[in-house]
Amino acid sequence: MDAYLGVDVGSVSTNLVVIDEDERVVCSLYRRTKGQPIKAVQDGLRELGGILDEPVEIKGAGTTGSARTLSGVICGADIVKNEITAHAIGAVHYDPEVKTILEIGGQDSKIILLRDGIVVDFAMNTVCAAGTGSFLDHQAARLGIPIEEFGDYALESSKGAQIAGRCTVFAESDMIHKQQVGYLVEDIIYGLCQALVRNYLNNLAKGKRIETPIVFQGGVAANAGIRRAFEESLEKEVRVPEHYGVMGAIGAAVLAKETVDDGRPTNFSGFEVADRDFKTSSFHCGGCSNNCEVIKIELEGDLLARWGGRCGKWELEEHPTVSLRGATPASATKQTM
Amino acid sequence: MRVGMPRGLMFYKYYPFWQAYLDSLDVELVVSERTNKKILDLGLEAAENEFCLPLKVFYGHALSLKDKADALLIPRLVSVHKKEFTCPKMLGLPDLIHALEGRVPPVISPKIDVRKNTRGYYRELMGLGKRFDGKNRRIVSAILAGRRAQIEYEKKLIAGMTPPEALEGDTRETTKQELTIGLVGHSYNIYDSYITLDLIKRLRRAGAKVLVPENISPETIDAESRDLPKRLFWTYEKEIVGSAFHWMKSEAVSGVIYVLAFACGPDSFIQSVIEDKSRSLGNVPVMSLVIDEHSTEGGMITRLEAFIDMLKRRDHAACNASHG
Repeated sequence: MDAYLGVDVGSVSTNLVVIDEDERVVCSLYRRTKGQPIKAVQDGLRELGGILDEPVEIKGAGTTGSARTLSGVICGADIVKNEITAHAIGAVHYDPEVKTILEIGGQDSKIILLRDGIVVDFAMNTVCAAGTGSFLDHQAARLGIPIEEFGDYALESSKGAQIAGRCTVFAESDMIHKQQVGYLVEDIIYGLCQALVRNYLNNLAKGKRIETPIVFQGGVAANAGIRRAFEESLEKEVRVPEHYGVMGAIGAAVLAKETVDDGRPTNFSGFEVADRDFKTSSFHCGGCSNNCEVIKIELEGDLLARWGGRCGKWELEEHPTVSLRGATPASATKQTM
Repeated sequence: MRVGMPRGLMFYKYYPFWQAYLDSLDVELVVSERTNKKILDLGLEAAENEFCLPLKVFYGHALSLKDKADALLIPRLVSVHKKEFTCPKMLGLPDLIHALEGRVPPVISPKIDVRKNTRGYYRELMGLGKRFDGKNRRIVSAILAGRRAQIEYEKKLIAGMTPPEALEGDTRETTKQELTIGLVGHSYNIYDSYITLDLIKRLRRAGAKVLVPENISPETIDAESRDLPKRLFWTYEKEIVGSAFHWMKSEAVSGVIYVLAFACGPDSFIQSVIEDKSRSLGNVPVMSLVIDEHSTEGGMITRLEAFIDMLKRRDHAACNASHG
């Protein structure tokens, strides 16, 4: 079977998706990055190779997420795309009519507005990660509740406690105070969900017209409490797609399929790349007063890529592909910037 | 005598005037290097934490001129246009730098205030010339030389150059131009390639033709900014609003990118004015990019890529619709 691979490596999770020629999701994987993007990609590929029922031939591969460039080198991506575009494509793949995408991930959140399948506006959280998945993770751990059950608690609340959502530090003091004066834990949890949603709508969505269909995706979409808070606040239906956690990876896979549409051979390194030895290292250039830190990626002694310098003198002309099949290296990884 | 000029804040606005003026008076002008990590670090260490990023950068430039100049020329820009003002930090700038006494050369700060008339302005320039031992006649010709140089410079900008191209010999890579983007923001932000992480170069590499406010005539900017219910009395902010409005109304660009500095008061007002206009016109999207000393490439590249993808896909869709 011919298939396309999408890989989304974010701060918290690493997601892999395989779609077939009709863009149906053949299988998907959601795992924690744990601060080791290379290992996460390799483990993901190994696991994916193991769970695919029938042999597939990957015709194209795409990467996205904050570690998209790095994972693009590891996988041999045909396209490396920013996560805003990838998420939009993923949502359109789920519902071509989608007009609003609410996306909350591990350390960032976005709102994307579309009309006729085209992105017309977007915003991403700026300096602060307040109100993202990591914060919920942290609070769940503090309350001793597994993050998976967090949303169910919120659904049991009849009225959320008033909690400040502007800053996680203040939100946390508020939560502690509410606990100490005897609020029900489900009301505190739902209050936290409401605070997070209020913060999101007042910052990211400020002045934006939120129209239906609304799709809520990203890891935090697993939290039914947040979805409830969105629906109550917007007074509109908010839909959570089946593959809500891997929408960026689906988008990357669809983009990969588009990229190789002209019949070009894929750069994909193959599932075997999981067992190769990648090394990253860094050094300070010292060529000028900027003293840039340059990152180097090597595969068993061969230099694959270098980046991080301001002037570009360390960048390689072409990213050699991780060729395991003895094929001639294909052209450089496609990148917009 | 060597006079030092920090390559920050109003450098890209008025450098040609000062250069020609001082040159006519046989005064050597030393300009600090382009912003780099060392200069930024110097500024971060010396400036108050609450200041905006460009002011911190300016501190770094001023400090980097220690031992390189006998005095620093930091004009006090009160008003550069009739009935208008500049931002409060421009008014207090010479005092702020003067407070670094011992770490920077002495500050010379002619007061530029043309809010009511230009008499005081010429008096200040005459007075400044006398400090450099100029005779009246020579100072007058220095002022004229300065004005000529400034007019020449502004002509180049109106013809389409960016200030770093006209002043610092920056060159353009020839790239495929698939769309046009209007870049607005204060000149000290958008032309400082270090703090904006090479924004202009990145946009061009991504296939964008980049227009900047200096490419638009002051008359057009004045006319466009009159669209607001109340007169904007900040000159440089008026330029930002006027150019963004002009591009949006004439659809001369596919999108507008507004670079603003974190902690900049005027920027935070203007941002809403521009975003509201974009929304009410509904044809040219605006993306705001906030910069501060913690800006990293990652966040910026993601936003730029997404914005350009969005514009390209829109243009493409519009093109298909009109042909089918």
